[in-house]
Amino acid sequence: MIDDELQDLIEKSLNEVATEEESRALEEYLLHDIQARNRYLNEVNLHASLRRRFSTAGEAPVATDLADTNTPGRKLGMVLALATLLILLVGGISLFSPAPAQTAVVAQVVGAYRDADTAYTVGEAVHPGVLEITRGLLRLDFQNGARVTVEGPARIEVIHEKQMTLHRGLITATVPETAIGFVIDTPSAHVVDLGTSFGVSVGDEGLTEVCVFEGEVEVSSPEADRADITPQLVREGQAIRTSENSKTIDSVAYETTRFENAWPVNAGVLQTTGSMRFVTPGPDFQPGNYEDNEHIVVFPERRAFVAPESIRVDLVDPGEYAKSRYRDKPTLSPSRRLTSYLLQLDAYPDGKNPNRRRSVRGQITFAQPIAGVITVTRLLKESEAVFGLPDVAYPTAREIEPRPDGDERPGFDTLILAADRRTLIIELQENPGQLDQVRVLVEAD
Amino acid sequence: MDTQQPDPSRHEEFVALYVRHEAAVFSFVLAMVQNTADAEDIVQRASMTMWRCFDQYQSGTNFRNWAFQVAKNTALNHLTKRGRDRHVFSEKLIALLADESDDRAEQLDARRRALDFCVEKLPTTERSLLAGCYAEGSTIRAFATQAGDTPNKIYKQVNRIRRQLRTCIERQLGLEGFAG
Repeated sequence: MIDDELQDLIEKSLNEVATEEESRALEEYLLHDIQARNRYLNEVNLHASLRRRFSTAGEAPVATDLADTNTPGRKLGMVLALATLLILLVGGISLFSPAPAQTAVVAQVVGAYRDADTAYTVGEAVHPGVLEITRGLLRLDFQNGARVTVEGPARIEVIHEKQMTLHRGLITATVPETAIGFVIDTPSAHVVDLGTSFGVSVGDEGLTEVCVFEGEVEVSSPEADRADITPQLVREGQAIRTSENSKTIDSVAYETTRFENAWPVNAGVLQTTGSMRFVTPGPDFQPGNYEDNEHIVVFPERRAFVAPESIRVDLVDPGEYAKSRYRDKPTLSPSRRLTSYLLQLDAYPDGKNPNRRRSVRGQITFAQPIAGVITVTRLLKESEAVFGLPDVAYPTAREIEPRPDGDERPGFDTLILAADRRTLIIELQENPGQLDQVRVLVEAD
Repeated sequence: MDTQQPDPSRHEEFVALYVRHEAAVFSFVLAMVQNTADAEDIVQRASMTMWRCFDQYQSGTNFRNWAFQVAKNTALNHLTKRGRDRHVFSEKLIALLADESDDRAEQLDARRRALDFCVEKLPTTERSLLAGCYAEGSTIRAFATQAGDTPNKIYKQVNRIRRQLRTCIERQLGLEGFAG
């Protein structure tokens, strides 16, 4: 009985007359019963074979003289047709429009244009081929998990999901374990990722610089003349340079400044304005090492991390932060995947003007919604144990001081979560010798 | 785009492997998309991607498995674009079908070889009917219209011939005991 029903559904599917309901009913059978799937695959296999058997060019729709067309002959004909087709393809002549599976997707766009007036859009599929980025920043998420931010003007070529070429311009890449072995070629270098974050820039005459923020990469000559020089391992906090003329890999000073626009996009930040400075990781990547009177410094912490316990935060809803009691603080449930960022103002006493008091203002917009903001010392400590980076020594922070209700005097700190839930607006009073910190937990993408 | 072409000296290797497994890939794609025209389109696109990405394939490893992955991605992409005009199998089911098509590839191969023999043994009228319905660019419906029959009548005839072929295949393979 059930068998007959299944057979009927399969035949309708093969004959392409199944209704939507029938197709769903078939799926139900197939999902839950391996026998049904075996039967289905056998029937489809038979159907597919008949199509292949009779669709070969040369066989008349109504076969009258079958003895003339023996099977081996037909098969050979097909092989030859296929081989010809492939030769045409290799020769660059395509008989049908090429639309291979998407290799990467445009995940973030910050004013990125492909030419004078066409902007890139989020969600666009990226297929193997050349991409021009005339200006702005573009983040590509490759299918295997590698994330590459390109800063225009740049010209890149996506080869496949594990390989791209940077012809000109600048990129930063974050490569998770799933994508180790991701390759970036430039005119003078072949860079193989070994699980890491790094930046690559290509200037005039193929001058390539590779700067490793975390982990390590292997650099060798371009694939064409790979035998030239021995591959070199470049570790965290190191940088190298290659050029088309010299054929050597030279160590250069570790300098991340040039990557400071692209890197934040890689790390899930859409943009920062005002006195907000995003730090690229490296050997001195410790909050205590960033005394800065001019900037609120942003450190990326754990990414896409599921907290084992619930996390108490100061602010979850759009609005301005005001003091509240510990027991009234909202909590984030433990099941959420969150990415953490630490924002810090570490002012030092200025020799010329030690008592100077002024404020530093900035704004940061994340690519994903903010789940919670933490600022009081106790909660910073609690969350640091979960979201802080394991090898980082965190200094003790001062609490930020919001304006009490009705107080009109100047000199308080302001922390506002904007209505878009992605933007944080911060104004902090410089307090030389003291440290303000805010931890932001953002939904992982 | 030229710089991304794989080493041309591997072209023969690719053609050899592709020709050997093309039938399995087509059958698998058809199982996923339930539509012959779509399946043919997808297999063509997938074959181009396979050649373009042939660098990724290591000689001596399982080409069929690799080809299935490429075909699966191409098909999923196609199905996403295609939208909602008919029911599309879930990714869960597609993954199951991919695994089982791969696991049972030898069996399915054997069935295809047996089919060649069984088709030869069909009476001429039945063979011409199949030839009409399965000709390139044709469908059962189109053939019925051309032959002046109702599609329903032809569907029934084709269903019957396919069942006959299935019995023949299973007898060939010595499977009739549990074929039902």
